[in-house]
Amino acid sequence: MNLHPFIKAPRNTTQAIMLDVIVALIPIAMASYLAYGTLALTLLGTAITTAVVTDLLFSGILFGNWKTPLDGTSVITAMLLTFTISPLTPWFVVAFGAAAAILFGKILWGGLGKNRFNPALVGREFMASVFPSILGASSIWATTSFINLPAQDFFTGAANEPVKTYLSSLLYNPSGALGEYSTFLIVLGGLYLTLRKRISWHIPTMLLGVFAISCVVIGDTVNLEYSFAGLLFGTIFMATDMPSSPNNAPGKIYYGAMIGLVTFILVWSGVKFSYLSYSILILNGFSSIISEVFKPNPWGETNNRLQKSEKIALLTIAILGVTFAVIYLHENHALIYVLVVYILYVVLKYASDFRHKLKYPI
Amino acid sequence: MMAIPSLKKETKTQEIKRLPDPPYVLLSLLGYQEPLKPVIASGAHVQKYQLIAQSETHWSIKLHAPISGIANVVEYNGQRYLKITNDFKNDSIVCTPPKVASLNNQDILKVIRDAGIVGSGGAGFPTHIKYDVSDRPITHFIINGAECEPYLSADYALMNQAENHLWKTVQVIQKLLQADQVVLAIEKQHRELKKKMEHQIAQLNINIKIQLLGNDYPQGSELQLIKAVAGKIIPKGSITAHHGVVVSNIGTIAAIANALYLGIPYTERIVTISGEKARTKGNFLLKIGTPISYLLKQMGQDWLPSDHQIILGGPMMGSPIAHSEESISKGTGGVLLLKHLYQKTFNCIQCGYCADVCPQKLMPMEFARHAANDNIDGLQHFNLKSCIECGACAYVCPSDVPLISSILTGKQLIKTK
Ligand code: SF4
Ligand code: SF4
Repeated sequence: MNLHPFIKAPRNTTQAIMLDVIVALIPIAMASYLAYGTLALTLLGTAITTAVVTDLLFSGILFGNWKTPLDGTSVITAMLLTFTISPLTPWFVVAFGAAAAILFGKILWGGLGKNRFNPALVGREFMASVFPSILGASSIWATTSFINLPAQDFFTGAANEPVKTYLSSLLYNPSGALGEYSTFLIVLGGLYLTLRKRISWHIPTMLLGVFAISCVVIGDTVNLEYSFAGLLFGTIFMATDMPSSPNNAPGKIYYGAMIGLVTFILVWSGVKFSYLSYSILILNGFSSIISEVFKPNPWGETNNRLQKSEKIALLTIAILGVTFAVIYLHENHALIYVLVVYILYVVLKYASDFRHKLKYPI
Repeated sequence: MMAIPSLKKETKTQEIKRLPDPPYVLLSLLGYQEPLKPVIASGAHVQKYQLIAQSETHWSIKLHAPISGIANVVEYNGQRYLKITNDFKNDSIVCTPPKVASLNNQDILKVIRDAGIVGSGGAGFPTHIKYDVSDRPITHFIINGAECEPYLSADYALMNQAENHLWKTVQVIQKLLQADQVVLAIEKQHRELKKKMEHQIAQLNINIKIQLLGNDYPQGSELQLIKAVAGKIIPKGSITAHHGVVVSNIGTIAAIANALYLGIPYTERIVTISGEKARTKGNFLLKIGTPISYLLKQMGQDWLPSDHQIILGGPMMGSPIAHSEESISKGTGGVLLLKHLYQKTFNCIQCGYCADVCPQKLMPMEFARHAANDNIDGLQHFNLKSCIECGACAYVCPSDVPLISSILTGKQLIKTK
């Protein structure tokens, strides 16, 4: 028999949510097209095609569900992945990354929503570890000669030269990874998602706030190497990924703050390019514990503050411990072993456990 | 909690209409947690307002004939009903209203009990037991006029057309409970009622405070209402009077008013008929026991199960009818004809919407997880017992995760542990 409720919130399906994310990403894709033309489009197209095909094949074969790509998440994963790399990345590297993102980042966890880590970032780390010589080469960021449309002066007539250049660069600045060319459009996408309630203010505000405060406290910002647009892109589109972030507001506040802190520590320790990717992945791993520790106090129950504080303290220590371990491994070029362990883990878990719970919704 | 769009606006200001009496009524013999026993022989002729069934336990719920005619016990889907076939003679027992001013507390409780009054909100708890607070101090007597279920406007219509008896009844109950404060709570979206009622109450020289609440669902749910009005957070499952609060629906008060001032037992109530698929929408004064088949006929409409479902009560917590011989009960505030939902089930995407809207501050997605794994400890750890089954989580879930069925199975698991 049908159970209550007999009405549903309008225009609020999972597909509608994914469509909103795609809508927010499209202007960013257009900026990348402006900057690098077909170079950008080829990579985007390669990633999306590979991701959708991988999703179709593996969900079809493993889950017996041939409609999975319709949920829209593989397209999003592919777009996010492409937006974190250089326009000069070879197409086969991107294809590999997209396939790995879908297979190891989502499907082996049991499919949509069950993944603990952001699939796009998982794909990114697969690429970085398997093709270190390609992605690690400094030549890959020498993109100047490939630019289609150079930086523009959007404020002709305004007097103050540095201010003018700065404002123009916020609108459009073709340097860095494919998703970083327009701070303005990134923020616009973020606002759209916030208005549509697909993301909330908690994670982005806390992340950027804590990062900024850490910079101020340390004071020595000259030697910090990071891309502001990249940080913003990751904050708005990666850190807020629903399945891999906590599901309650207090949890999100802590989670955002900790990503901000960990990112700062990584940047400060000299980790280049991957600082945000690492920090989000580290916190992804703690996301479900955070959700539980910060779960709201049920109606009529008394709050055990001491116990909760204790848990938060332990959690924080654990997160920082993992962070320093990552820095150590990174410096010793040993993160590849982490990847191997990860692969073993998901494959074994899939075979022994996740496989049997496919029909469970969570 | 959240605002839910619905057709409420379309029906709320409509005047209460009467329908011609139905050719027969079907009165469910299900009382509060126990069956009612007929006190008349099957096949007997009954007069209107005559006592026809009652419970034999301490709940002592009574059922009266809303029409005159021949009474028979019948069964539908394994449920027992008393069916009264209307003789259209309107042959009524003589009702003499009591002299309200001279009644003592025990008398009032007896009037309420003998009129068969139970809560009009749906749970069906006998009102004379709720009001029997003996010497417990009651700080707040709250009248629930926050009809938070979407579509329903029966309570609005009642308040909009309130007669003086309604407010005098409130005063009688206030004296009975010795309540310090009487608060009538309505939703902000109906604020136009406030002035109107305040004016009426002031003329009668009665002290009732009218408080506006948010429009969020489920604002009218007892625990959330008590928090909003009295500032007390009462755990689910405890008796509110033990915390100094008594809550009654405005519909229940109206039923008591009929008993006190007209001497009429609980045999009719206001019901909203609405929904996208309803040809006629509005608020109707219906006999308890009016069959849905009769209502449909009056609306000039057939029930097409392939096209729509019919819900008794509100769309959030009501229940679908299985056959058109189901009928209006004392707790039915609405009959809704709604289109079927086409559910697109996906996995939980951890969006947290369900937790955001849960009035009890629970994590509904965890119930889906632990119910699937038969994990009773997990269910208890996430306080399943505090869930009030309001349906807000399932309403908002984008993946149509079976939250309510997980909650119900989960509660069953805990019970049978
Ligand atoms: S049904 Fe239960 S879990 Fe769901 S929102 Fe209502 S109280 Fe919360
Ligand atoms: S609303 Fe549905 S999809 Fe979102 S967290 Fe709750 S159960 Fe999961």
